[in-house]
Amino acid sequence: MIANVEKEIVSIISDVSGFDENEITSEKNFFKDLEVDSIKAIEITVAIEKKFKVSVRDEDVPKITTVKEAVELVNNLLKQKNSVNVKS
Amino acid sequence: MLKADKDIYDAVIIGAGLSGLVCGCYLAKAGMKVLIAEQHYKPGGYCTSFKRHGFTFDAAAHSFGGYRENGIVKKVFVDLGIDKRVQINRFDPSDIITAPDCEVSFWDDVDDTVRDFQKAFPDESNNIRVFFNFLIENNPQSFARLRNWTFKNLLDEYIKNDKLKSILSFPLLGNGGLPPSRMSAFIGARLFIEFLLDGGYYPKGGMQELPNILTTRFKELGGTLRLSSLVTKIVIDDNTVKGVVLEKEGVIPSEYVISNCDARQTFLKLLGREKLSQEFLEKLSNMTPSLSMFVLYLGIDKNCKTLPKAGSNIWHMPHYDIEKMYLSANLRNTSNVAEYMVRVSPDGQTVLAFINAAFRDRIYWNRHKKDLLDVLIKHIERQTIPGLSEHIQYKDAATPYTMYRYTMNEEGAAYGWASTPAQFADPDLRRPSCMKGLFLTGHWATQGMGIPGVAYLGYDMANYILKKKKIPVVN
Repeated sequence: MIANVEKEIVSIISDVSGFDENEITSEKNFFKDLEVDSIKAIEITVAIEKKFKVSVRDEDVPKITTVKEAVELVNNLLKQKNSVNVKS
Repeated sequence: MLKADKDIYDAVIIGAGLSGLVCGCYLAKAGMKVLIAEQHYKPGGYCTSFKRHGFTFDAAAHSFGGYRENGIVKKVFVDLGIDKRVQINRFDPSDIITAPDCEVSFWDDVDDTVRDFQKAFPDESNNIRVFFNFLIENNPQSFARLRNWTFKNLLDEYIKNDKLKSILSFPLLGNGGLPPSRMSAFIGARLFIEFLLDGGYYPKGGMQELPNILTTRFKELGGTLRLSSLVTKIVIDDNTVKGVVLEKEGVIPSEYVISNCDARQTFLKLLGREKLSQEFLEKLSNMTPSLSMFVLYLGIDKNCKTLPKAGSNIWHMPHYDIEKMYLSANLRNTSNVAEYMVRVSPDGQTVLAFINAAFRDRIYWNRHKKDLLDVLIKHIERQTIPGLSEHIQYKDAATPYTMYRYTMNEEGAAYGWASTPAQFADPDLRRPSCMKGLFLTGHWATQGMGIPGVAYLGYDMANYILKKKKIPVVN
């Protein structure tokens, strides 16, 4: 499941940034390496929310600066979502 | 029927608005074969000028921003090698807001602007400095955080005084068509930076110079521009773009199609409802266009001594209730005119005034255009230019219907989609995943408005396509 999250996120970043998927490795910095600006950072967040059906808190948006961080955040959000689903 | 090679393009751009022209120039510069098809007989979209009775009027866009060293329009002009071809002047102050209790100006030196605001609101001195610093810093990560915020949320975080909040919001209603409670904080902040803190630029010769210079450059780079050339269809096969149909010339094959025109027309009319998913259609039908505008054009004789400084936008703010202004604009009629923006054009010969107005059909405006025009003149005469009516040699106005007729923007929308947080930055609109090879640029792409906003999108869209095609960008 974790491998899939990373794959999906890389695909989203490729769609938004125009960079090839194989150029988008897990340590790449969005702003420094992938020409992501504020608008594209928001587009990435919007696409992540839609793809994984999660909602990213405003204060977490600036924290997503590498693929690795994005994957960690989404995995955490998915965990929270699943635990809520189990409870209800 | 097979087309000759000369009629096959790498990219066709629908519409020669500034975003389409910028995008076309970058693609052509990288060696792609590009056609821009424009339905009007001149390029520019909302950035055009026209002549009547010896006067030259800017039709809608009347000055622009983003031309400091790190400004996006500056970058585009330098990249394309056209920055030396036109003299760009900056008017100082670019904007003056006349509020009921004070007047504040936006100066070339941002520190002067800050001082103006601090003088009018001494209790908020520090907050004003911090707010302006936030805007000037323009940090991508802290801006990304604003994604769901309204401009009101942003103001509430920095500013206490309600009158000050209204003054900071008022020019955004004029430049973006929404009050702070509805406007996306991100777009509001961008407008504030690009229209006010770095605004007031004007090309010698009039606004038409901008599309004209881009057009000349586009052709030098090998691009083809067809004016008076309506696109009637985007041709697709198996969810992949194959070209467009021009009303007069038939099918033009192309690998990419970039639409610089109205979004709903692009998807519903040019592409066709049956090609889109139910989900996408629902999204499209739930989206709201921005307000339109009513523009007054006056030709003035040489004896008018009361004219304000040429080139500065003067914002007449009769009260502090921006929400009320917005509601009035939605019901615009001759009895609810109050706030306006007026400017003397840099050549000193014409006066332009702008008010927000909702769309109504031609029949309505045939009946009411003249009355609204006269009411607006009376207001300006009373508040800003005494004796104005004695010096008018020519008068006319553009209604929301006029905006639609010349540009085919839905409902004459002045700023594309309404810039609410909900409609902001949908990546699936400017790069629709349902259709390979189709892209949107310009103010309907949900990310930008005004000349800096659409210049950014044109540049970014071209860059994106070049990256995908692995064509190096040459600067």
